[in-house]
Amino acid sequence: MPAPLPTDTAVRLRGLTVRRNGLTILQDVTADIPRGGSTVIVGPNGAGKSTLLLCIIGNIPFEGQIDFPAFGDPPRMAYVPQHVQLDAGLPLTVLEFLTLTGRRRPLWLGMTGAAREHARRHLDMVQAVHLAHRRMGDLSGGEQRRVLLAGALARRPRLLLLDEPAAGVDASGERLFWKVLTAARQEQGFTLIMVSHNLSLTAHYASQVLCLKGSLLRAGAPHAALTAPTLRALFGVPIHLYPEQCEEPDETCAQCGAHCHSADAPACPAASTAPGRAG
Amino acid sequence: MLESLSALLPDMLPVANALGRLPLDCLHVGFMQQAMLAILLLAPMTAALGVSVITFRMAFFSDAIGHSAFAGAALGLLFSLDPLFTMPAFGVLVGLCIMAVRRGSLLSADTSIGIVFSAVVAFGLAVVSRTPGMARNMTQFLYGDILTVTPAELGFLALLALAVLFFAVIGFNRLLLIALDPVMAGAQGVRVAIWQYAFAALLSLVVMMAVRAVGVLLVTALLIVPAATARNLARSAGGMFWWAQGVALFSGVAGLLLSAQSWLGTSSGATIILVACGCFLCSALLAGRQGHRRG
Repeated sequence: MPAPLPTDTAVRLRGLTVRRNGLTILQDVTADIPRGGSTVIVGPNGAGKSTLLLCIIGNIPFEGQIDFPAFGDPPRMAYVPQHVQLDAGLPLTVLEFLTLTGRRRPLWLGMTGAAREHARRHLDMVQAVHLAHRRMGDLSGGEQRRVLLAGALARRPRLLLLDEPAAGVDASGERLFWKVLTAARQEQGFTLIMVSHNLSLTAHYASQVLCLKGSLLRAGAPHAALTAPTLRALFGVPIHLYPEQCEEPDETCAQCGAHCHSADAPACPAASTAPGRAG
Repeated sequence: MLESLSALLPDMLPVANALGRLPLDCLHVGFMQQAMLAILLLAPMTAALGVSVITFRMAFFSDAIGHSAFAGAALGLLFSLDPLFTMPAFGVLVGLCIMAVRRGSLLSADTSIGIVFSAVVAFGLAVVSRTPGMARNMTQFLYGDILTVTPAELGFLALLALAVLFFAVIGFNRLLLIALDPVMAGAQGVRVAIWQYAFAALLSLVVMMAVRAVGVLLVTALLIVPAATARNLARSAGGMFWWAQGVALFSGVAGLLLSAQSWLGTSSGATIILVACGCFLCSALLAGRQGHRRG
């Protein structure tokens, strides 16, 4: 008789290690990702964030163990990559793209009314219903990210993985993206795992943060994980998101007058060599 | 054994003979009826797969498969086997090899295809050069001749057309998703490797049959020109499929009929491709005008 499934952990990572061409990309990552939560992976470039997502979806080989205690078997997943190379000449419409996922009827036999309605409903969720008849290749970066998210949501995943979903989107667009994502998660009840570089939005919207730099430096709720020492260890510059955690002076830059985190960089004081350059 | 395999192929001659009832003088002779049926079977296949070929940017792949026809036919002649079987078998083997190299190495797609391409062409030429008189037999594969299509080839084309139709029904959406992003497709439950290998195998078979119609030199054009024309004219991915079908059938039928006219007297394969290129030119002008208006 199989053991009852624990219901609070969606993904369990145990001793996850990834090596490629003699290089260790991830080293002994152990973490639990709660079911129904919004887990955000933060870290510098090359920290292994995207690699961790690819391990979870089973796209690359790894050492260690990944299982899905809340679901038993790998659940229905959707994944939105960091970059999708859309062919500008391909006349694939947004509605067609949304029916590609999960509909067996080939596009050349036309779309049923139910398929159109299904696609429109998910476009509406990401406030992009006005894009329905546009070609995928004609969309701007921000529009494309929202349509890709709608495509992922249309699959009604149990586990949604997003790799820097708001990269290249302006500040208001990125905030809208997070709002939409949170609303969709509350409506559909999926578990979200996302890579992001936006620390302030991560602090606001995430329920758990994994701080990754080859290995897992810290994991927990945003307030507990995104501390000034952890962020310093991750990015090598003084960053504090919470005023009470400001353990080091964060002086403004002599060159630009902003908190550009360049005060400790030797190039910064030489303002005369690069006027106006922030760091 | 090969004779018994041939016996399993459907007899398409009654269908070809039925084409003789059409009110066209050139269709009153048997070889033209068979050629017309071959085009009616081949054009929808090349159009259906051609749409995916240009979406996957695999034009060079189909060119490499086409060139492996030499080696496949040479092997058949060398071992006294029917090239009808050795060519497709060798083509599928080469197609699967290219896909395996492409998936399993860090080399770019064009480099890996180029390596296999060079190997099979060199192998074919080596076999041909070793056997006196074989080079003359090879010219039919260089230029193709649909007028010499055999009843066995018609039966094979009919079976292949059914396979391509089945594949287009179950695989069109999946292949499009893989072309957009294979990792995203894999995460959504699409078995990327299986679909890529199946596509490579089916494309190899169709290319080998197309080599008989238009020859090695023009086989890629038969795949990509109708699909590229469809891209210029279609407003949706579904529409692109049907435009490609229309252009491929029109080019095939018109090209064959034109080539049969005494006042033209050109080879059928080249005429078919020229008609397709004419369609592409018109579509490009139309697309340019529409783009200008939008702009």
